[in-house]
Amino acid sequence: MVAVHPNPLRARRRRARRFAASAAVVALVAGVSAACSSSGGGSGGGTTITVSHGYTDIEATELKVQVKQWNAAHPSTKVNLVFNGGNDSALQKTVAGFTAGNYPDVAYEYGSSAAQLAKQPKLLDLTDKVKAADVDWSDFYPSEQQAATVNGKIVGVPALVDNLSLVYNKALFAQAGIAVPTNSWTWQDFRTAAKKLTNASTRNYGWAYVNDGSEDTVWRFLAMLWQAGGDLLTKDNKKPAFDSSAGLAALQQLRDMAVTDKSVYLDTGNDNYLNLFNSGKIGMLWTGPWDLSSINANVKYGVTYLPGYKGDHETISGPDLYMMFDHSSSRAATALKFVNWLTSAKVHLQFAIATGDLPVRKSETTLPGYQTFLKKYPAEQVFVANLDNVKHIRPNLADYAQISTAVGQMVQSVMLGKAQPADALKSGSAAVTSALAGS
Amino acid sequence: MSVPVRARRRPRTILPRPQQPTPSKRSLRKGTRNRTDALTGWAMISPSVLLIGVFGLVPVVWAFVLSFQRNDLQTPAKWIGFSNYRQLAHDPAFRESIRNTLVYTVLFVPITLVLSLLAAAALNRRIRGITIYRVAVFIPVVTSTIATGVIFTWLMDPDYGLINSLLHKVGLPTFGYFSDPNQALYAVVAMTVWGWVGFGALIFLAGLQGIPTDLMEAAQIDGCSKRGAFWRIQVPLLRPVTGFLLVWLTINSLQLFDEVYATTKGGPLQSTTVVVYYLYQQAFQFFHAGYAASIAVVLFIAIAVVTVVQLRLSRDPSASGGRS
Repeated sequence: MVAVHPNPLRARRRRARRFAASAAVVALVAGVSAACSSSGGGSGGGTTITVSHGYTDIEATELKVQVKQWNAAHPSTKVNLVFNGGNDSALQKTVAGFTAGNYPDVAYEYGSSAAQLAKQPKLLDLTDKVKAADVDWSDFYPSEQQAATVNGKIVGVPALVDNLSLVYNKALFAQAGIAVPTNSWTWQDFRTAAKKLTNASTRNYGWAYVNDGSEDTVWRFLAMLWQAGGDLLTKDNKKPAFDSSAGLAALQQLRDMAVTDKSVYLDTGNDNYLNLFNSGKIGMLWTGPWDLSSINANVKYGVTYLPGYKGDHETISGPDLYMMFDHSSSRAATALKFVNWLTSAKVHLQFAIATGDLPVRKSETTLPGYQTFLKKYPAEQVFVANLDNVKHIRPNLADYAQISTAVGQMVQSVMLGKAQPADALKSGSAAVTSALAGS
Repeated sequence: MSVPVRARRRPRTILPRPQQPTPSKRSLRKGTRNRTDALTGWAMISPSVLLIGVFGLVPVVWAFVLSFQRNDLQTPAKWIGFSNYRQLAHDPAFRESIRNTLVYTVLFVPITLVLSLLAAAALNRRIRGITIYRVAVFIPVVTSTIATGVIFTWLMDPDYGLINSLLHKVGLPTFGYFSDPNQALYAVVAMTVWGWVGFGALIFLAGLQGIPTDLMEAAQIDGCSKRGAFWRIQVPLLRPVTGFLLVWLTINSLQLFDEVYATTKGGPLQSTTVVVYYLYQQAFQFFHAGYAASIAVVLFIAIAVVTVVQLRLSRDPSASGGRS
């Protein structure tokens, strides 16, 4: 089985996406590539490769530092770092680059883009290359390995990993006089607490759910579906499988909270939830490490695993990838060497310490520097431990975007009280069937 | 009331006739002079022609070609004839997007026109600080759509928004706006009207200021009220301006995208999925570039037809010697 997942939508990244998207429309209509970087040439005896990324802020700064280190140590194989305008539109940019014949050697891409880009004839197939001893492929977390695999072919190297955990506002729990969440909370515990934290007159909500019908809506539902023992598609990825008792349980829980208890703030997809969490209006979030840096210093928060269904606390993870594209054998070799170096335990741990991103390799947690990481980011410990609760991975299909849209509509209709869970499952299942048939 | 009728019929003949170029003078030195003129002309416009060709015509042709292909922008394209168009004809989501676009256009265009006209009339006065008012009305036009989108999602937030909180204070019912499938499209209309009234007002204001003041004075001497003069003299004289705005606003509303992208992303439950947003979704989320191109071609034809019809209807009858 294979893995996909539109990565968590970071607030800042998301903003950037809008501009990029309009540019992308222009690119289609214009049929002229929307400006990728100029490809690095092999001038002056050495090789220069282009690496495109969409990191901003601290992550961008640190990546630049690391590229500088590489360039200083490897004068004959230089790396030229190019900002692609934001990771949310990396796929569109890369594809436009191929149309224009002007594409990077290495591109940072969401795991969800893996299946689309796997079709690209220029893509470097890494299946044999990762077997080399210096790569130590098995050191990557299993969910990352799966996310990088499309139809048995390894298409990228894990660049970043995260997962959903429960983040709660300590002060609000104290005010309401209820016990704070634990790693062994049940769905019922979660629902009860959310209800107690809700106050219609002060506009306080227990939980926030991104209900824009995007993958942001889908992946929280998926975690619940998997906990309840269900899955999105059948094992062969040919048919929908979520119209099941597990799907019903998950949607019913969402309905009970959003419609019956009205304890959920339904975010329309503009990341208002984070500002509201900062203002003490929302008690709990299901979110990832990327949001922690945006939580105000005066808001004291705790982190636990997601509430579980019959003891299953499974979460969902979003590995992103460095994908490589062929220009020439020397450039491909350089690209591979550079990515190997960048994602090696020692180098990536530096990155993690600087940015608060989670380790991408298991062995990073055994290095001495890891203690520095934990000291600097105490809340991250739960997220790192929660990586072990990642069991499933989204289907790595080129048509995943369509499947996601259908499931997003389904969840949205239930959250808005426009459909009963059982009916929504039926129509959602039918929509996914036709999405799968259309491929 | 003879004044308004005459004014409407002859808005451009206020210039003394002799100043208008006569055909006989020009035909004197045809031949070589004409050819050099033509060459100079082409040389001068060649940069624009080149730019418009590369960024305008070529893409249009390419999109047209693309619409007959199955193309994911990555693997080699496949010719499939009219398949995309046939599929489009039976696509309920596309039909829904057309419906949303039409509802939007039917609301957005007239509301914006009327409000722009009223704003222009209000701004066409000599009062203290008028520049400030004019700038204030125009500011939404130069504000980035993204910023507008973010501000409106907050203003119209059902729980924490300023608008609902004001409504609540005065005891009126509150709304769900962007989060309610039955209201989201209207919320988008409200937001875009706000963004476009400044533009319409600017055009109308220019039109109003181009109307000779003696016409208004004459009307007032004849005993016409200010309001009467506005509706019976100024508004009819604004016909060409109104026609331009009508076409411009209609084209823009048929191509609505940014505002939807910045606020609802086509939701909730596809209630704001307009044609161009659907096109975007097909092209850049699902990578059905051929299918998306066929949507673009259909939209292109629709806009062309609507524009031609509108131009005919809004043409000044006096210019062509009568109603066409």
